[in-house]
Amino acid sequence: MRDGNDGGEEVMDIRDYDEGASSVLQLRGRLDAGTAGAVEAKLTAMAGLGRPLVIDLGELSYISSIGLRVLLQAAKRAQAAKLGFALAAPQPPVKEVFHITGLDGILTIHDDLADALGKAE
Amino acid sequence: MLTLPEELLLLAHQEDSGSFDLPGNVLDLALAAAVLMDLALRDRIDTDLERGVIINAAPTGEAVLDKELARLQAQQDIESLAEWLNLVADDGADIKEGSIARLIERGVLHQKADRFLWVFETRRYPLIDGQQLDEVTARILAILTNDDIPDPRDIVIIALAHTCGLTERLIAEHELTEEEEAHAQARVEQIVRIDLVGRAMRVLLDDLQAALFLTSSPI
Repeated sequence: MRDGNDGGEEVMDIRDYDEGASSVLQLRGRLDAGTAGAVEAKLTAMAGLGRPLVIDLGELSYISSIGLRVLLQAAKRAQAAKLGFALAAPQPPVKEVFHITGLDGILTIHDDLADALGKAE
Repeated sequence: MLTLPEELLLLAHQEDSGSFDLPGNVLDLALAAAVLMDLALRDRIDTDLERGVIINAAPTGEAVLDKELARLQAQQDIESLAEWLNLVADDGADIKEGSIARLIERGVLHQKADRFLWVFETRRYPLIDGQQLDEVTARILAILTNDDIPDPRDIVIIALAHTCGLTERLIAEHELTEEEEAHAQARVEQIVRIDLVGRAMRVLLDDLQAALFLTSSPI
């Protein structure tokens, strides 16, 4: 067992932009204990915008349990605010995590970003 | 806020006997799962499908959790979640006693010593203040009777309660309509599929449920 972040690099590129009526948060890299705080802060700030939110997971390579909780909390906040929320384009390893953990039964996940944008609004 | 082991014990509490309706053969592992889930929710550990890492070894202020966090920290050679579970489960009796002591300290339960056949001392734990139990059950029932996205904490306590055969009792004890009851059962099935801590935890919870078919007497 090791302290820290599984020995992996704590790398996460976070980019946000508007697409139509939605806001998009693009995550690139690893969403784990080392990066979850920054993503959560960004999601909290974006929740205040009052726009549907799509999380683009197309370049997310890894997600741990703390990352799952951050996304779950964001979805819960969006639901409480009656705003659309969707996850988009997870790569197979991340998609498998959503499936095995059962979160694909609770969260809206689209294989395609354009599809997610169309449904989130 | 109660710890998850405390919430689990409280959900299993039987007022008439002052005991806990948790089968002895699954108790240690269920409490170990509760400890690890609580440490995850307090951002002390992080996990993926197979492994766990300590991300913050700072004490939580809860003696039961902090003891197990220190034991995990001391075992630098293990990192699989299954090994973590077994390590913590080895301390199941202490987790149970420590959690009951904390519930007494919080004023939720009190301890009463009795004698069985005038010889054997037995301990019962009558409820003093039902507010905490009411809050936990209300939280769970609210999630089971609507379609809101559940909070991570609610997901784990429902999974633990279901594993220990407690959700059936909870649903039965409350006056739900037939429709609400069917909805609640479906929500339980949906929520217990969610595993925010790791595949080993899912396997464990499934195993514990299987063990309930071979259940022993309440503790």
